[in-house]
Amino acid sequence: MSTRRLEQNPGPESGTRRHAALTVSAFQDAIRHHARYSLGNKWERCSSRELFMAVAFAVRDALIDRMLDTEDRYQQADPKRLHYLSMEFLLGQSLRNNLSNLGMLEPCRQALRTMGVDLDDVLESESEAALGNGGLGRLAACFLDSLATMGMPGYGYGINYEYGLFKQAIDSGYQREKPDNWMAHGNPWQIERPDEACIVPVYGRVEHGIDRAGGYNPMWMDWKIIIGVPHDMPIVGYGGNTVNVLRLYSARSSEEFDMQIFNEGDYLKAVEQQIASETISKVLYPADSIEAGRELRLLQEYLLVACALRDIVRRYSKSHEDFDQFPAKVAIQLNDTHPALAVAELMRMLIDEYAQPWEIAWEMTQATLSYTNHTLMPEALEKWPISLLEAVLPRHLQIIYEINRRFLAQVASMWPRDHERLRRMSLIEEGEQKQVRMVNLALVGSHAVNGVSTLHTQLVRTSLAPDFAQLWPDKFSTKTNGVTPRRWLLQANPLLADLITNTIGDGWITDLGKLRALEPYTQDADFRQAFMAMKRVNKVRLARLIYDVSRVVVSPDALFDVHVKRIHEYKRQLLNVMQIVHQYLCMIQDGQEPPVPRVYIFAGKAAPGYWTAKQIIKLVTSVGQVINNDPRVKGLIKVVFLPDYRVSLAEQIVPAADVNQQISMAGTEASGTGSMKFAMNGAIIVGTYDGANVEIMQEVGEENIFLFGLQVEAVRQMRERGSYHPRDYYHRNPHIRRLMDAFGSNLFCPNQPGLFRWINEQVLDHGDPYLHLADLESYIDTQGRVAQTFQDREGWVCKAILNVARTGQFSSDRAIAEYAKEIWNIQPVL
Amino acid sequence: MQLDQRKAGDALIVTPLEDRLDARVATDFKERMIELIASGNTIIVLDLSKVEFIDSSGLGAIVSSLKRMGGRGELVVCGLRETTMTLFKLTRMDRVFQVFDSEQQAVSALSGNKG
Repeated sequence: MSTRRLEQNPGPESGTRRHAALTVSAFQDAIRHHARYSLGNKWERCSSRELFMAVAFAVRDALIDRMLDTEDRYQQADPKRLHYLSMEFLLGQSLRNNLSNLGMLEPCRQALRTMGVDLDDVLESESEAALGNGGLGRLAACFLDSLATMGMPGYGYGINYEYGLFKQAIDSGYQREKPDNWMAHGNPWQIERPDEACIVPVYGRVEHGIDRAGGYNPMWMDWKIIIGVPHDMPIVGYGGNTVNVLRLYSARSSEEFDMQIFNEGDYLKAVEQQIASETISKVLYPADSIEAGRELRLLQEYLLVACALRDIVRRYSKSHEDFDQFPAKVAIQLNDTHPALAVAELMRMLIDEYAQPWEIAWEMTQATLSYTNHTLMPEALEKWPISLLEAVLPRHLQIIYEINRRFLAQVASMWPRDHERLRRMSLIEEGEQKQVRMVNLALVGSHAVNGVSTLHTQLVRTSLAPDFAQLWPDKFSTKTNGVTPRRWLLQANPLLADLITNTIGDGWITDLGKLRALEPYTQDADFRQAFMAMKRVNKVRLARLIYDVSRVVVSPDALFDVHVKRIHEYKRQLLNVMQIVHQYLCMIQDGQEPPVPRVYIFAGKAAPGYWTAKQIIKLVTSVGQVINNDPRVKGLIKVVFLPDYRVSLAEQIVPAADVNQQISMAGTEASGTGSMKFAMNGAIIVGTYDGANVEIMQEVGEENIFLFGLQVEAVRQMRERGSYHPRDYYHRNPHIRRLMDAFGSNLFCPNQPGLFRWINEQVLDHGDPYLHLADLESYIDTQGRVAQTFQDREGWVCKAILNVARTGQFSSDRAIAEYAKEIWNIQPVL
Repeated sequence: MQLDQRKAGDALIVTPLEDRLDARVATDFKERMIELIASGNTIIVLDLSKVEFIDSSGLGAIVSSLKRMGGRGELVVCGLRETTMTLFKLTRMDRVFQVFDSEQQAVSALSGNKG
């Protein structure tokens, strides 16, 4: 095996141009200093948690120096800045990432070692910032890493949820939710900035007044005030040269207590009022689709938008006297429709607070805002009842009506008398309960709209917004998602990272396309051996974790077949279970042993109110219980469910996977960034022709991925023609009949008869909207081919290596470069 | 609430000596303003330089005072701090009231108007 080191990345271990990395002794001094003066303790007496805090404070000092320097650099260059508005930032733990990107991982490890402390123990003590549900929030976190790594002036704006996504426990096979009070022990990364708090008015009414010149003057009166207090998290790029800021807002009441109520002796009522305001940033909604009419969610979204825009305008105004340069200096990206209120809020600010004429304000708003769509699922497309908007944001509703009036006049002039088109394109949905369509508001108010994979963008154009695509064909583009190789390869899989760096140099860390240089090494027996050894070590580690949390013994020599993501019907965890049950029945009833031992690994959270998703978890655990304990299976099939899926768990699962399942019904998954992480770590995808799978196939080669099932057009036709009859599959295919009957029997629920009868009812009797049985036959065939292919370990490892080598396209650096060039028009400031 | 008032030429300078003009004092403030208007003051400069925060009740009280003047005379404001100015703009009250940086500017502009 080659151990060349072809090139040196300009960053880490040697420090940056402006800042030297901390030496081991300086690190020790800093840790001792913070243990004593920030925590009031001697380091020798510190708990793991306190040591984590002391180390984090030491790292934070370095981050702050670089953050201030970065801001100086930006101020000097006055570049166009990008502002990424997202209701979710799924950051996970930060210490390892910050140390690694600063090039301080090894000095820190050594410093702690000489103090008798293991860095890994310290790293484990960090609470995770689980401020997101899944892909959308994790994408936002990857994008921040890429922006900083590439030296781009990019700021994140979000909500500082006191409670992140719930913690999941499994109790008797069922999901139980526990609150995630992630900041209970303090958060060393955040810098609170009360002096930059924003005033956010809500509720009230519009008084139709007259100004001094006798003109119409709509006055927003009788509002209540919420205060948005910013908390800055430094985001360091690889190499440490650029430290951008993620600004998260907490809601506070406008005063500590209402003193009048307090003086009247009603202390509790005074406190209650304060608590009511602070409730707004209390909790992250644990679902990607929010039940319409949730006032608290609307308040959260407005808190984000109002605070972010006020902050953006404040920063712009510091160095500009008028708004002439605003779109040339400010880009604002809406991460899905959740921040779409930005359209109305920016218009309101420009018109009401800065006295801009409507036409100018509209031009600036459109030129500044751009919108990423993340889903086509109807339940996730936000609509707010007019009555609610009128109560919470009366002036915004008035502005939305006016935007709509002008927009529909434009549409009517192009398509006269096409009333149906006007009805479809209107920002207002008529009906029993009139609603504002936030997607349409975002489409109209943005100069650019993008989907997150080629296929998804095509569906946005053709099925979500065909009228808008016809009106503005150039507004729509694809920006396929990506993931940061720093977290998902360099940090999550240090063994593979070292193997790659020792083979082709470390240029891949900031230019993932360089992984292509690994391709020839499929012919290098030493490299293949080292690759297999790396995978096995990772699998041993995961096997140990599986045993620790579930007491199931699995062999690291088995095929690790992984299905981890939020639990949702469209993602079709049920399809996977059907295939497992089929395999099980083949073994115990037909005597057919699988060609290789296989461990099916599931993880994921179900939205607390989503009955079917929670039942799927119970199904997986129950099927696992039966199969894992059936001696006839001889340990050849294992099924495990790892509780509390989160970023840090993903970091342990991804490097150990042989196969990744991405099997959503075609046309439902917008992108599926999970697949990118797995492929990057040498797992092979079993997937449908959905989301980014298609592009991954184009990159890695169709012989190095297992795609199966109906494609989007076939799904569409089947649904439109009503030609999917699940019972036909049931009657025609004895294997399908047998496994469906197994769910109907009590095979997997001997102590709770009828527990899984819902599967038969939903699939066979209620139409099965996600077409499980239509794809099941080809899925079973594909999974069989996977097992056969895995028997040839040398052939398999070549495929795995080629997956790693050909994932350069799926770096978030590539995605950010595309956004920067084609939408934001921003440049690095180095 | 504490309200300082003094004459500068024809103008009555009214200065609320409160850091918060909010629901707690708005009713009292409004009544005091209406008394001043009823007693014949037609040129009033409302100096808000001591007010650090004003809520919608406070703003409502100022609007009510203007309405009470019934189009006769002038009610202008001056000395707005950043937060108060933000809230004035947010409600578009800056389009209803003349806003001056300082008491002197307000008085001089009003004398100019008169001349």
